[in-house]
Amino acid sequence: MANDIQKILIIGGGPTEIGHETELDSGTVQIIQAFQKLGIRSLLIDNNPFSVALESVQPTNMFIQSVTTENVTRIIEREQPDAILPTAGGVSAISVCQELQETGVLAENNVQLLGIPSESLSVINNPERINAVLAQMNLPVIESESVGTLDEAITVAGRIGYPVIVKPVAPKIDMSRMLCDTEADMIEAVSKGFNWSRFGQCVIEQSIVGLKEIEMVAIRDGRGTQLLISGLENIDPIGIHSGDSMVVAPTLTLTNQDYQRLRDTTFFIGTQFNFTGAMHIHFALDQAHDAYFVTKVTPYLDRGTALASTVTGYPIAFVSAMLYLQTNLTDVKLPDGYRYQQSLLLEPTLDHVTVRMPMWPFEDVPEADQHLSTVMHAVGSTIGVGRSAEEAILKALRSSQFSPRDELTSRSDLTDYEIISLLIHPLASRVLVLIEALRRGYQIDELTELTKIDPFYFQKFKHILAVEELIKSKPLDPTVLKEARYYGFGDGMVARLWRVDFDTVRQIANEHDITPTYKGIEPTAAEFPSQTSTFYSTFENENESTQLSEHTALVLGRGGNQLGPNASADYFTTEMLKQLNKSGYKTVTINTNSNAGSLMKSLTDKQYIEPIQLGDVLNVVQIEHPEVIFVPGNRHYLTRELRARKLPVAVLPPDQEQRSELVYDHAEIGLDLFVTAQHTVPILLSDLRSEQGLATSLSQLTVMKTPSQVTKTQFDDILSHATNYLTEHPRTGLVQLLYTIERGKAIFAGIRPTRLTAIAFLNKVTGINWIRMLVRQALGEIDEALIADLPLDIRSNRIAVLRGTFPFKQLQVPEKLGLTTQEVGAKIGFGTAEETDLTD
Amino acid sequence: MAKVVVDAMAMQRALTRITYEIIEHNKGIDGLVILGIKTRGVFLAERIASRLKQLENASVPVGELDVTKYRDDIEHDGTENDPKVTVSKIDFPITDKKVILVDDVLYTGRTIRAAMSAIMDLGRPKQINLAVLVDRGHRELPIRADFVGKNIPSSQNERIKVSVTEIDGQDSVEIMRQ
Amino acid sequence: MTQRYLILEDGSVYAGNGFGAGATTTGEIVFNTSMVGYQEVVTNQIYHNQIIVYSQPIIGATGISHDSYESILPTAKGMVVRDVATISKNRQRSLSLDQFLKQHNIPGISDVDTRQLIRKLQSVGTIKGSIVDVADDHAFDQLHATVLTNQQVAQVATPKPYPNPNTGYNVVVIDFGLKHGILRQLSQRHCNVTVLPWNADAQAIISLDPDGVILSTGPGSPLDVPESVLEMVRTIQERIPLFAVGLGHELFALANGASMTRLGTAHHGPNHPIRKIITNDIIYAEEAQEYVVDSETVDRNRLITTYLDLIDGSIQGLRHRDYPAFSVQFFPDGAPGPHDSVDLFDEFMEIMGTREG
Repeated sequence: MANDIQKILIIGGGPTEIGHETELDSGTVQIIQAFQKLGIRSLLIDNNPFSVALESVQPTNMFIQSVTTENVTRIIEREQPDAILPTAGGVSAISVCQELQETGVLAENNVQLLGIPSESLSVINNPERINAVLAQMNLPVIESESVGTLDEAITVAGRIGYPVIVKPVAPKIDMSRMLCDTEADMIEAVSKGFNWSRFGQCVIEQSIVGLKEIEMVAIRDGRGTQLLISGLENIDPIGIHSGDSMVVAPTLTLTNQDYQRLRDTTFFIGTQFNFTGAMHIHFALDQAHDAYFVTKVTPYLDRGTALASTVTGYPIAFVSAMLYLQTNLTDVKLPDGYRYQQSLLLEPTLDHVTVRMPMWPFEDVPEADQHLSTVMHAVGSTIGVGRSAEEAILKALRSSQFSPRDELTSRSDLTDYEIISLLIHPLASRVLVLIEALRRGYQIDELTELTKIDPFYFQKFKHILAVEELIKSKPLDPTVLKEARYYGFGDGMVARLWRVDFDTVRQIANEHDITPTYKGIEPTAAEFPSQTSTFYSTFENENESTQLSEHTALVLGRGGNQLGPNASADYFTTEMLKQLNKSGYKTVTINTNSNAGSLMKSLTDKQYIEPIQLGDVLNVVQIEHPEVIFVPGNRHYLTRELRARKLPVAVLPPDQEQRSELVYDHAEIGLDLFVTAQHTVPILLSDLRSEQGLATSLSQLTVMKTPSQVTKTQFDDILSHATNYLTEHPRTGLVQLLYTIERGKAIFAGIRPTRLTAIAFLNKVTGINWIRMLVRQALGEIDEALIADLPLDIRSNRIAVLRGTFPFKQLQVPEKLGLTTQEVGAKIGFGTAEETDLTD
Repeated sequence: MAKVVVDAMAMQRALTRITYEIIEHNKGIDGLVILGIKTRGVFLAERIASRLKQLENASVPVGELDVTKYRDDIEHDGTENDPKVTVSKIDFPITDKKVILVDDVLYTGRTIRAAMSAIMDLGRPKQINLAVLVDRGHRELPIRADFVGKNIPSSQNERIKVSVTEIDGQDSVEIMRQ
Repeated sequence: MTQRYLILEDGSVYAGNGFGAGATTTGEIVFNTSMVGYQEVVTNQIYHNQIIVYSQPIIGATGISHDSYESILPTAKGMVVRDVATISKNRQRSLSLDQFLKQHNIPGISDVDTRQLIRKLQSVGTIKGSIVDVADDHAFDQLHATVLTNQQVAQVATPKPYPNPNTGYNVVVIDFGLKHGILRQLSQRHCNVTVLPWNADAQAIISLDPDGVILSTGPGSPLDVPESVLEMVRTIQERIPLFAVGLGHELFALANGASMTRLGTAHHGPNHPIRKIITNDIIYAEEAQEYVVDSETVDRNRLITTYLDLIDGSIQGLRHRDYPAFSVQFFPDGAPGPHDSVDLFDEFMEIMGTREG
């Protein structure tokens, strides 16, 4: 059957949002690579302008449309794919495929479902139905019932007993659960949930708040062979969404019995539902009563599979793609970029610890309720890898960039009363409160009782405090510095605790040979002599990483995802890496975001999972001696400090804040240009708008439309003004000149670097990759003759729109006019004026 | 009311054990042929043959025997009339071979007796052994299985339902009360 | 924290912090890649006279629990870890790994670069080492002078028979250094168990009229076990269903004419795929072996190979052609390790069932 498959329609993840960032897209890229190896044509529907996957299919196979059942139906009818892939586009792709199945589109067009058999697909993300099926399999599930009206909800909740959890049935967004202690809470939750559900229904279930949340990521082939890739342990208990929880891999506080039981159940579920490829099963574990519940069954790619893939080095997405097409695990070969040669049948074994720390958007959306709950709020996360829990926790924390100078934020500002309250009702960044509570002398038993966090983690937090005390007590002591680095303290943290400058710390380290030892991330815990391209640092005896090449470009990743123009930064980094490879560089990257597409092994020759902080970067530089270091534009302190050390720094993605010269704080029209030493190339003239039309400030400009509606005269005026302006005020790179229309005339409103989001738009509209241009420019490889001859049609009539998307719904704040700093993603649309207006 | 008495894992194990017992009993697989009684006995026969092949790296021929009942509505293990067994696909000689006859359920023994007659019509095997997944008792003829997956003592008003993945979508043995 | 050292025969020294007992010990260094179940590992008597290096960097985070003992009196010579946690999870909150090791006079050493050590072991193979307070010439002299016993089985196996009464099949377990996981599996299946010493003779076994006999796991080399035991195996397998695990499997192979080879690097961990030949399924189980059946020497007329490790090609299971007697090299009891093959115990029950009456 699988042999007949030659054309597969992949359902993309759509714009980045709370619930998924770049992990779906990077999974899709790997799947497309696998399909390519099998000689299969991939069609992809997605309207995420920052999609790397869209760049990796032929233009004729690319459908830049929003992922809706209608659009997918149209593509199926026209293109007649042999199969459809529902597992790479997250919750919305599953939901679309369910509708396609229900409406009979798949059957009518003879389209085969990959990964999830149809009978299983119909119950995925439908809590009531899946619970019924799981209960039938004699698996422990939480008592629950679905309701369609408020009256039903009140009756059912009363019977189950408060607290209860409310979940919308087949939600349109990834928001899973809402915990309700009282009837009033429940009524509010149900009313929201009815709106979010595709069927206007909610499920009310027994609360299991406070239990340990464990996730198991496994993989299964069509023959039934399955293996566990990794267990993931949520440090925060059930009650806090796993996306908002600190997560550790492998599991640390599970006994063999706990672990094997969940492994068995994961495999049992895989067999019963007959999944192929990656699957991710969530559990609530009640260690006190030797019991557990199955809480979520997600047989598709998500942040859990991405994390498992990064920490083990097991290429989950690629292998899944092979398995979808009935290749057996015994026959799958590792993809390009994997330097170790072990069998994909080895169950990954780890000799390091990874902690994932969520990052929240509350600075940019201050009106949102910051309480952590069963609804996910985080927009990104960072990971820290180490050889002890302390080291992994600190590296993850330092990576989440509480401070550009790598200092740990203290919550000593809190009153005792506030601390108690925050322990019981946690807010974002709760780890700092946990540490502060220990600092104030709370006992571990008390804290465990209040927070339901395993005492093991409090021991570790406490030890971090002890090391901090030690550092403070002995300034400039090399033994102490060794201890500090051993447990994951950054040089910036030590400098602050010692009240000395950063270089003093590094000097002591160098003088006493306290240097990092890099260890490989590979799936066998050194059982086999292995080659790997991924490393993390620790401070032990043996270093496994040596200089890769004399001709290296070091690219610093963006780290954890955040709101604002940086939502597109990872796309930018990925495209940069492609150009650097093309330009003949060996590429090395540093990143802490397990979801980042730029961490794909096929993109770089070497990867460091390290905090992107000055000390850690300098350590890597000491090994790699790169010819050029690319630093993201938002890392001003880092850029300055690297430059101060005479290192060859290039700033890309471009700095978004610097060198803007604004006449007005509003604009209607933008002209993007590429400026080289010899040429000024106008690329695109577009109308700039807010979501509701004309904007009253630049921060509202989240919509870009082309062609602009200016008159021909205005167009000509703008072009000639821009050229003159840039002759008088020379710039290089991508710039955007802003104009407003006053009394029929285009008036210059300012100049700024082209927004990152806009660069993606320029790429898609012109078909020219401007990111690669910028890289060539930074490397001094611009071919001026080529620039003069670029195939650009600035007067093109092709309609294209880029719209920012905002996380207000997930953050449960009232819909309002979104600002550029609040963009969580973006969507792009092409076509007639009517169609593009319909893209939202 | 149906109760699962043999689940998929247990069925796998039973077939595995029967396979090893066949090897033990026959000192290998030389001269062995397997005949399955339709419908489920054939699938069981094929599974035993594939296990033998895995272990011994040599194929054992598998043939099919068809059970025709005088009445359509009675169970294959029913008793009212004697079933008639015909050869539906056996494209190898059986004379001087060691025949393993495979059926899903052994009940009155009448099917087996008919199967043996059908085999005898085809040639003269050296020996015939009987392998069944389930022996539920209530024999009406002096017939005994050499290899039994599971003995399930049952009452006559119960029905034993054997399901195999190949046609039923799952492996199981259930007892149904009528 | 006391600074202590792990020293190896080849002269290398690993500094770390002592935990558990302060004893100075010498043993063979072996590494285990299990990510869970450190307690099951350290209490398994197969580690008699060995120093265990854990690849999982954090050990001790689940304390010591009453249902994770593989023996009451562990006799390993040490634990080498990267990081040790002192958590007590029992009801008295009074038994951390550290305290447990102190009780049993087993030293631990933490903050060792275990990845470096394992990378080394993976290339040098078997090597002796000591956990010491001072890594001086004297310590090395002692290390070189220490001759490790080859009487491990006699040292750890029960000297006297004992019962574990129940109402099901009558099973005799021959104790070569039994792990409790085997008893647990038999208890769950209601077997009436009698554990006999490793040197019980066939007549003593037959006198108990068992439905089945299990040859247990145990430490050391199968080649150091006297011929009389192989004699016993040959007699029993003809009469009574037999199931052999670990060292038991190695003895079963020897009794049936196969030879054993010492592995260059011992494999201890649950991560290898194992092919169950009869169904072609792939399973995982904890393997912990220094010796492997030499496949060239397996007499195809007597034994069938039933399980194969897909990574190193090692034989992981055998079955006698003529008798209901079978063996596995790996540990099917899942303590620690996957449960994928735990139904071998069911298979054993069913075999005993067919022999009834």
